[in-house]
Amino acid sequence: MKIRSRSYILLALVFFASLRTMAQGNFSPYSQMGIGDLEDGFYNRTSGLANTGLAYRNNRYIINNNPAAYSGLSDQYFTVEMGVRGSVVNYYGTPVNPASTQSGDITFRRLAMAIKLSKHWGSSIGLVPFSTQNYEYDVPYYLQGSTNELANHHYQGHGSVNKAYWGNAYEFFHHLSVGVEAGYLFGQLNQKDNLQNIGTGATLASTTNTVDLNNLYMQYGLQLYGKLGKKWDYSIGGTFNQRNDLLASYNRVVLDNDSIQRNSQQLSQTYLGVPNAFGVGLALTHKQKYTFLADYKYQNWAAEKNSYPGKNYTITNSQRGSVGFEISRKRSFYNSQIELSYAQIGAYYGETYLQVNGQQIKDYGLTAAFGVNGLKGQNPLCYDIVLQYGVKGTQQNNLVQQRYFNITFVINYGTIWFTKGKKYD
Amino acid sequence: MTINNYQKRETFLLLSPILLLFFLASCQKQPVLNFGSNYNGDNGSADIVVVDTATVAMSTVRVDSTATAGTGYLQVGEYKDDYFGTVRSRAFLQVTPPSLPKITVFDGYDSIYLVMLFKKGSPFYGDTTSEMTINVNQVNELYQLSDARQQRAFYSNWSFGTDPTPLGSATVKMYPSIPFSSQGFGDTVKIKLNSALGLQLYNMIYNNADTITKSANWLNWFHGLCISAAPTSGPGAIYGFKDSCFMRIYYHEVGTTTSIKTIDFGLANKGFQFNNITTDRTGSPAAGIAGLPPGSSAQTPPATLSTAVGGAGYVQPATGLNVKLTFPYLNGIAHRPDFLSVVRAVLTVRPVGPSFTTTWTLPPQLSPDLTDLNNLIGAPLPSSTTGAAQTGNMVVNYAIPQNTAYTYDVTNFIKAQILNVAVGATDRGLMLTVPSPNNVSSFARAILADGNAPTTQKVTLTIYYLSLYPHN
Repeated sequence: MKIRSRSYILLALVFFASLRTMAQGNFSPYSQMGIGDLEDGFYNRTSGLANTGLAYRNNRYIINNNPAAYSGLSDQYFTVEMGVRGSVVNYYGTPVNPASTQSGDITFRRLAMAIKLSKHWGSSIGLVPFSTQNYEYDVPYYLQGSTNELANHHYQGHGSVNKAYWGNAYEFFHHLSVGVEAGYLFGQLNQKDNLQNIGTGATLASTTNTVDLNNLYMQYGLQLYGKLGKKWDYSIGGTFNQRNDLLASYNRVVLDNDSIQRNSQQLSQTYLGVPNAFGVGLALTHKQKYTFLADYKYQNWAAEKNSYPGKNYTITNSQRGSVGFEISRKRSFYNSQIELSYAQIGAYYGETYLQVNGQQIKDYGLTAAFGVNGLKGQNPLCYDIVLQYGVKGTQQNNLVQQRYFNITFVINYGTIWFTKGKKYD
Repeated sequence: MTINNYQKRETFLLLSPILLLFFLASCQKQPVLNFGSNYNGDNGSADIVVVDTATVAMSTVRVDSTATAGTGYLQVGEYKDDYFGTVRSRAFLQVTPPSLPKITVFDGYDSIYLVMLFKKGSPFYGDTTSEMTINVNQVNELYQLSDARQQRAFYSNWSFGTDPTPLGSATVKMYPSIPFSSQGFGDTVKIKLNSALGLQLYNMIYNNADTITKSANWLNWFHGLCISAAPTSGPGAIYGFKDSCFMRIYYHEVGTTTSIKTIDFGLANKGFQFNNITTDRTGSPAAGIAGLPPGSSAQTPPATLSTAVGGAGYVQPATGLNVKLTFPYLNGIAHRPDFLSVVRAVLTVRPVGPSFTTTWTLPPQLSPDLTDLNNLIGAPLPSSTTGAAQTGNMVVNYAIPQNTAYTYDVTNFIKAQILNVAVGATDRGLMLTVPSPNNVSSFARAILADGNAPTTQKVTLTIYYLSLYPHN
């Protein structure tokens, strides 16, 4: 009982700490545009498959790529998953100061729980990043009213929009699962403009513009699955996100050089649109061992571009294609197949929702993963280590290219519920 | 039958290192990217606006006297300044007999001198290439503070009557930088005084006369000395001799061998030594500077606007001149719709280009002191960043005179003044003056250009204010 209490306290700490650390990360120069860098990773079992998983189903892991997948969990199974990512990014291009071209960080990326409430009904709640903003840059300028006195705008942008979701899936006819995810987007994006003495770096004044965002963002999912002959299993998945407007509340605080607040103003509210989006995916499994997957996703961002301020860039439609391959090692255990470990590889190519200096920012790369599962009833933990190398952006047209290497740890804890905490072997 | 508890220790062990990771997350380095300035729209940030066109009203405040008693220097001389007219200084002092030596009938009086010392670093001002004739006159009235005037100290406008006939004179040429005088006694100037006086004093000493032995009798008989310079035909100069001067009687003592002996009359009371400074500004640009009329009981020294005296302010505290700066339209900046607060304010004051030379030097330091409608000198305005007293950080540039400037951090003053709408607020300002002790020991002066001077010369108040235009 004592251990359980401590675990709950730690779980709560993890939850609140995750809210804090989701916003942190490496500098991402493109995150100053739009709503920030959109998160396209799920930090789950599909991460090693280049996040290809719209058609993926698993009885032990929380597959939040498609809310229809929650019905694939084992009966009465309760599971918790967390994802932590370490990342190293190298920056290339004319705007990059050769003296400092690399950054690295470790950030929490995901916390999710799921339970199979009944034989056909799976449910999950979780907290995942939706977008992040993290950038800094300097803009030297002449003080207004002077032709010879330089000062410096040091812009800092930090923040994130997170998604707390509750997803439910119900299985019909053993071959069809329908899911709905009610996602609540919330978060804060902060842009701080530090006016600095260009010689000493001393802060002369600062303006912090804070945008609080929140609203629902619904996702609907469908999976159709079954057997193709004796050796093959198939699954087809699809998702649809319904556009919505995020209520954006702006607040501005101005501090002088003595850090005395000189202005605090609640500005008028506006709305930032999040778009309609759809995705389709396919998974084929041979002898319950080899799985081939492919996904395609499309987001209609162009319809929302008028709600985003900024200049010299355009919000445009984004799309992403990915493929993955998985080998699963299983063994028979009481008339069922128990997975002991697995290995994955994947590849992805995406066009982001930003078109900067006439170039649509692209993001592509490779993934690989290895996972080890504890035996149900003996060890409740599963571990997944994912390696990812990718390239984002271009060095053309005075842009910045980021080459990143990520290592992600996904840890899954699972147990059987509704047994009053006891199981008799 | 085995009972498994599914809330195992692994959960605790699992979550603990993850929490640690969260705290490690903040340990990261970041690249330096010059990327973003092209994509940043108007985000309504505050800005800093520079205003260097704020009106600075300049006036010269003239006080009728300065405290020149006990400064440590006997200011003696006269010079003619193209901007300030003729300035003359006389030193008044009292001497007192020492403990008397035993003089025998065989000893004999030789001479009497006034010995003055000009040490290295002592103040001087003017053209030191010409000779100066120094006269020593005896004060012919009682050397004392006036009870009738409730006088507490001697000031520069005070003087005593003197015998018209000097006790002695000497013409010397001073080399103050060495220092050396043309008399050949190093840094010493010796003025031979009337031998009759010397002999009289010698006999008094020999006779142990009450006049010598009793202080009150002595001061009633020998009131004091006035050391002055004869009018000069050239530019002239004023020298500050140390107040360790003395009147010396030379006599010879007859014994196995004859030896020269001296008796020194040092200063009776250094606090009673004072310098009487007079000016004649007739025909000079400073002639229009108004002063209190003689006999006036007014307490507020008058201020003369720079526009009445050649578009300049005149600083020479030794002759009673200081420059007052006021900022009558500061409130206009505070009323701008975008004004939030003052970030920094810098006052730059420049001397009129041709007014200073290696002869007519500038005060190396000018202090900005608070003042108000009473035109009195208040507390110094410290730097807003260091809290230290400010002296202008002036570096003289004779080759490019307009690059010579006194600059001050007046942030704290402007922050308070810009929102001050109280009665008399527009009379609050800054008094530029020479900080002590040079305010009474040095004649270095400055002619400061007012706001109507050419842009590169004029007095400038530069205000950096935090600006934010209203947004919805």
